[in-house]
Amino acid sequence: MKFLFDFMDKKIAPLFEKGGKFELFHPLFEMGDTFFRTPPDVTKSAPHIRDSIDQKRLMVFVIYALFPCLFFGIWNAGNQFNTANGVENATFWTDIIRGSSMVLPIIFVSYLVGGLWEVLFACVRRHEINEGFLVTGMLFPLVLPPTLPLWQVAIGISFGIVIGKEIFGGVGYNILNPALTARAFLFFAYPAQISGDKVWVGSFGDVPLLDKLLGTVAENVDGVTRATPLAIAAAAETGTDAVTALNTSGFTLSNLTLGTIPGCIGSTSAVAILLGAVFLLITGIASWRVMLSGLIGCAAMGALFNVLPLDNSFAALPFVYHIVMGGFLFGIVFMATDPVSCSATNTGKLIYGFLIGALTVLIRVANPAYPEGAMLAILFMNVMSPLIDHFVVQAHIKKRTAYARALNNA
Amino acid sequence: MANFKIKKGFDIKVEGKPKAFIEEYATQHLFAVYPSEFEGLKPRLKVQAGDIIKRGDVLFENKQNEKMLFRSPCSGTVRAVNLGERRFPVEILIECDLQNQESITFETYTSETIGKLPKKQLVDHLLNTGLWPLIKQRPFSKIADPEASPKAVFINAAGSAPFQADFSLILKGDEEAFQTGINALAGLTEGAVHLCKSAGSDIPDFKNAESHIFSGKHPSGNTSVHINRISPIQPNDTVYTIAAQDVILIGKLLTTGELPKTKVIALGGPGVKEEFRQHYKVEVGANLQPLLEKALEDREVRIISGNVLSGDQIPQNTCARYYGSEIFVLEEDRSRNILGWTMPGLLQYSVHRVNLSSFLKLKQSWKLGTNTHGSHRAMVVTGWMDRYQPLNIMTDYLVRAALALDTDEMIQLGILETDPEDFALASFIDPHKTDVCGIIKRGLEEIEKEGI
Repeated sequence: MKFLFDFMDKKIAPLFEKGGKFELFHPLFEMGDTFFRTPPDVTKSAPHIRDSIDQKRLMVFVIYALFPCLFFGIWNAGNQFNTANGVENATFWTDIIRGSSMVLPIIFVSYLVGGLWEVLFACVRRHEINEGFLVTGMLFPLVLPPTLPLWQVAIGISFGIVIGKEIFGGVGYNILNPALTARAFLFFAYPAQISGDKVWVGSFGDVPLLDKLLGTVAENVDGVTRATPLAIAAAAETGTDAVTALNTSGFTLSNLTLGTIPGCIGSTSAVAILLGAVFLLITGIASWRVMLSGLIGCAAMGALFNVLPLDNSFAALPFVYHIVMGGFLFGIVFMATDPVSCSATNTGKLIYGFLIGALTVLIRVANPAYPEGAMLAILFMNVMSPLIDHFVVQAHIKKRTAYARALNNA
Repeated sequence: MANFKIKKGFDIKVEGKPKAFIEEYATQHLFAVYPSEFEGLKPRLKVQAGDIIKRGDVLFENKQNEKMLFRSPCSGTVRAVNLGERRFPVEILIECDLQNQESITFETYTSETIGKLPKKQLVDHLLNTGLWPLIKQRPFSKIADPEASPKAVFINAAGSAPFQADFSLILKGDEEAFQTGINALAGLTEGAVHLCKSAGSDIPDFKNAESHIFSGKHPSGNTSVHINRISPIQPNDTVYTIAAQDVILIGKLLTTGELPKTKVIALGGPGVKEEFRQHYKVEVGANLQPLLEKALEDREVRIISGNVLSGDQIPQNTCARYYGSEIFVLEEDRSRNILGWTMPGLLQYSVHRVNLSSFLKLKQSWKLGTNTHGSHRAMVVTGWMDRYQPLNIMTDYLVRAALALDTDEMIQLGILETDPEDFALASFIDPHKTDVCGIIKRGLEEIEKEGI
């Protein structure tokens, strides 16, 4: 190892330094170098000691938090495919392999294309490659249906990284969550494939050689389209019970919570998401304020709709369903807590989270055009969070001025 | 008299606390004065190499206020005046003449007469004797403006950073000088003199000063916290601040009529050998190299004048400085950890729970080094910087305002009552490795330039 590191430091590093042959690609070298070993930099000024946390570690730990969703999503995608296509000899392992063959290409494309943009901007702007794209590149595939064409994944992540982030100056300067921006772009540009009300359980090219691995796909089965629970609840006719409508379509509270339903790769299972949330809270990366107030907001708005005398059976749906259905839980745990686009003040976080929860339910129930409200609610509150913070800061300034006056006059 | 409990804060556990023992440091031949220590000062030299001078002779004066003089700590020959960038005199080296310790004498006062002296005469006396720069002011945390009428004077006898000299130890035997110094400071203000102590320290109460006790973790010993809790600064307010040991120096000058000869310095940190981690009574300006040569570990180390959170890096061939009562030595840590982004983090000191050490090992002392443990990234306003900030200033937003040089918002959020040292913990815990203290310093300079 030592030999290798010495070789890197003496022979390779100078090529990428200023004046070296590959000076332009220094960010790329820096990324690889610091991937293997933490940088040797020492502090330039006071304080002379620093905490051993850095952005790399933070971002990688967010990805760890996404692992339960990812693994569950892979299994679930394969399982849904095999169930829908009537694969007879399907086992847990064929589910996993089938799911991997559907999900991993999406993640690969997301990282490849997203990474290329990140590197391009870093090289041109001469800043270091920011680890934020690692998280974006993983969050984005997890909120996509497993059947999305790969070219759409590429276009989506390009839009998210370039328009959602880089044109503002990169991580730390963006207003919107890049992964959600990417998804919103696909949502409006290619509604047929991603739309919130219908997901494809989908058929995927059938390769005979892989029959053993993937299980035998029954012949002549086209991609099956099933309505999402949100669409069913929204479409429940006046006077009927939305819960019954869900149940008859095969959605119960338990499978909505476990996530064994068709849907986006990572966001169907409340259990997997909660595992990730617990990890984020234990490590202290994400804000509990946003998560908690988001849940309260969602529950409160759901309960409010329950008691309002509305002629709408979706409004009568118990709020628990709002929490476990669709992308809300995934959004509030992983998307809304993005430190860049979320409110920065403590009070602001509470307001921000609450309004995301409340708006999600409001959009779902009151706006039949967009059954999935979480994405739009989070994006809207991303835009609003500087405003919330502005008022919180102003209130703080008033309070501290009053404090100083009071103490001085005492 | 009041007790203040500071709830927010964090004590960084570094190895190498100096023992509560003062050793007399041997007389030295070489002395130095560093005009570069006085930030923003434009010195006009009054001596050149080869001049024979007495103890107390003027070395240089402040071009902007010619009454402000800086005097020699010893008698002897000026060996060299070393110029730095733009021909700024960074150090004046003086060869001490041990046989002839002739000293200039000034007027003497007693503890009682000093209290009756008119303010102007007192200020002029301190300016003339070269001890005025020991008194600093807020806002801007610079040498106090002699024309200002401060609403209070804050004496800092607390000190919660790792490590600060133990003032209760320094005070022993010099209580009278300290009282004289307090009496003099009381003459500078219409308001009160506040003596701020740490909980549990063995410092008695003094006349003419209100005693306050601050308990809690760092930064409960920072002057800004004391000001914020006792008498917060509003725009157009000025307060004077001074370190407790410097009050003794002023007291000695007034009673003896000679420049104070010695002060106490604490030497500590992981880069200092165990047996040398203690307090030393050194002559002001005396060469410290012989001590440091013996005391330091035989590795690449960084010597810091002041405490580890807010001090300045100095070379090893240094002399005792005008400011500061500590010398802290750290190892230059250029080590690289393999796959640092995913290792359990048991061996890396961290307050963040993404490292296991934060759960298990925050209570023990650590041999910390100067490594940044990561590269610089764009700042993200997360609210984390406020985690250990007892000042009511919304640290993240203040830093952002300072970064944008938005003077109005900086003032509204309370930058005027701060000093860059109050942002040391924010800088310490920041995962983006933002130079928070530097940003605040530039913010303060911008406000000073533009006016409040």
